[in-house]
Amino acid sequence: MSAPTATVPKGPVETAKPTPSGPRSRRRRAGVQQLAGWLFSTPFLVLFAVFMALPIIATLVMSFTDFGLRNVTDPLSAEFIGLENYTKLFQDDKFLKSLFNTAYFVVVGVPLTIGAGLVIAVLLNNGIDRMRTFFRIGFYAPVVTSIVAIAVVWRFVLDPADGLIAGLATELGMTAPDFLGSETLAMPSLIVMAIWRNLGTVMVLLIAGLQAIPQDVREAARLDGAGAWHEFRLITVPLLRPTLLYATVITTIGYLNVFEEPFVMTNGGPSNSTLTVSLNMYREGFNFFHMGYASAMAYVLFVAIMGITVLQLRLLKDNTK
Amino acid sequence: MHRTARTASVAVAIAATFGISACGGSGGAEVAADEKQTLTVWAMGTEGEKLGEVAAAYKKVNPNVTVKVTPVGWDVAHQKLVSAAAAGNLPDVTQMGSTFMGEFAELGVLEPVDTKEFAKGDFFPAAWESNVVDGEVYGVPWYVDTRVLYYRTDLAQQAGITKAPTNWAELSALASAYQDKAETKWGISLQPYNLDAWQNWLPFFYSAGGELIKDGKPALDGEAAVKSLTEYASYFDKGLAKKSVQPGYDVIKDFGNGSVPMFMSGPWQTTNIAENQPQLKGKWAAAPMPAGTSSTSFAGGSSLVISKDSKHKAAAREFIKHLTDAKGQADWYQRTTDLPANQAAWNEGKLASDPNLKVFRSQMESAKAIPALAKWAEIGSKIDEAIESVTQGKASPEQAAKKMQSATAGLVE
Repeated sequence: MSAPTATVPKGPVETAKPTPSGPRSRRRRAGVQQLAGWLFSTPFLVLFAVFMALPIIATLVMSFTDFGLRNVTDPLSAEFIGLENYTKLFQDDKFLKSLFNTAYFVVVGVPLTIGAGLVIAVLLNNGIDRMRTFFRIGFYAPVVTSIVAIAVVWRFVLDPADGLIAGLATELGMTAPDFLGSETLAMPSLIVMAIWRNLGTVMVLLIAGLQAIPQDVREAARLDGAGAWHEFRLITVPLLRPTLLYATVITTIGYLNVFEEPFVMTNGGPSNSTLTVSLNMYREGFNFFHMGYASAMAYVLFVAIMGITVLQLRLLKDNTK
Repeated sequence: MHRTARTASVAVAIAATFGISACGGSGGAEVAADEKQTLTVWAMGTEGEKLGEVAAAYKKVNPNVTVKVTPVGWDVAHQKLVSAAAAGNLPDVTQMGSTFMGEFAELGVLEPVDTKEFAKGDFFPAAWESNVVDGEVYGVPWYVDTRVLYYRTDLAQQAGITKAPTNWAELSALASAYQDKAETKWGISLQPYNLDAWQNWLPFFYSAGGELIKDGKPALDGEAAVKSLTEYASYFDKGLAKKSVQPGYDVIKDFGNGSVPMFMSGPWQTTNIAENQPQLKGKWAAAPMPAGTSSTSFAGGSSLVISKDSKHKAAAREFIKHLTDAKGQADWYQRTTDLPANQAAWNEGKLASDPNLKVFRSQMESAKAIPALAKWAEIGSKIDEAIESVTQGKASPEQAAKKMQSATAGLVE
């Protein structure tokens, strides 16, 4: 941020007549300019350093220590144990299970969320003219609703005794399974809930993207005899690519960090079948106070997110240019 | 999708711990009890709401002491206390849940209690015991709770049983009778898994003669553990108890509509039933824990502790004395229906006459506390896992007990 301000004085000063005191005053003026630059960026730098950089570095340092409860009052007494937390992590069945669960959630959840979001965005953009606003609000409402309210509603929907689905099933003479109590169904139930909850964001992003596609391109395609499917596949999707990429990356990061859904709905159960990395980390850190271990988990997750994001940016790069 | 990276939130909490602790510490002289001063007190849940009234009344008698009560929610209590301990600014007096005690004693932020001033004999033994760490007492018992059996008497009658079950065999028979003859959906509600399932299992373990810690080591693979896990699991095997439960499940609703005619819980449920299921009046009763080799329940509750850094220790002791003597305890029961930890408070009024309360009193006399352990939260979660594995039929009680023992071996120091 300070770089441009530092180079500004160069031009005029250089052309000035060289005097014995020249270089020094030049340096001083540059210094003042630089100082002003630093001064203006101070509020940001301080906030960034205190609330972002420091915790991130502290966590990294902590992941190499055995920081636990007794270090709370005396942080410096934590001992460095090298990579022990990391090696322990990959022998910890619970952690491996939570990694698997998170991967399951992302691999199934992200494509479905993006796919459903795309379909709804296209429908709302073209097909449905009446009550468009109503539908948009309807799909977006879950995004801005508190997770607590959502949990109440979804527990009612999924309740095996007197829930909505159970009630419908009884009407039809069937019995609904115990969604959140079953190891095989608990995770899919949470995925459905997450899709419902995040659909709105994807939809809004994609509608914005759709509206940016120039009408003349579509018209040209139609004149060339393209049907609806062709138009969708060869015009809409490629031109929507940057938006799709953004939506996918954001959704993937959100899903890799998934915490709230299992936290409020199942608490990781039954038999850890919905225990995600974030929930596991929260428990290790705040319930058991294994801060060192939890920090190591945080970094493993961080590296995974970083890697996957870079990969996505590569694979889904905009090829139309 | 406004989830912030979880990575960052863990990091922020840690950094806060680091950052604040730098400016902690204390100094300065202590203030005598009769000087003008303000006493800071943190209390949780209902206690936090009601303690303010007591503080106002206290000020009338002791005009020099202003008691400032800060209510803290139970859900955030643990985290708040840890951060305050780290920063060295715990209030003068804090309400301490019995399962927190070991942790905070370990942190070295609590002032030991003068046992000449507060007599062990005044309180229920289990309530006192939960404050003892390495022979030192760190808190004065304030109120107690213990788990007893709640059952529907009207449905029991329908099932042809007229007296409360006194042992495990009778309990199991009653659960079956409810299902077969009174046609209830379930026989009993027991927690199959999830956080704090151990609270439900512990009375079985204690009643089988079990002890959590023996000679400084966990004793979770003995006969008592196997027997109690077997008994606990049998209700799930026979279909008497529901195998799955969601967080936030409220048993009182099902108790009211008769689908769950029995459950085990603490004293707060008496008020809960009276308020939320008033139609049940006279149709239910509380009974002592059915016995294995004995009828021994698990005791919880809260104590009052003084912070080591407090400058108002003398006044804090006076205030705690006021709250924990027989008169203060009886008054507190009137306000909150919290069961008094001081045994003398039980000799008058409703506490002495009400039959359900008598059940709690006698149960409390023999109840056992959880030993104050620094890593109790973790040990508890290992027990939860063992319970889950037997209730879901994934492990035999022997295997689960063995695993529980090996998982907790390193957690007790």
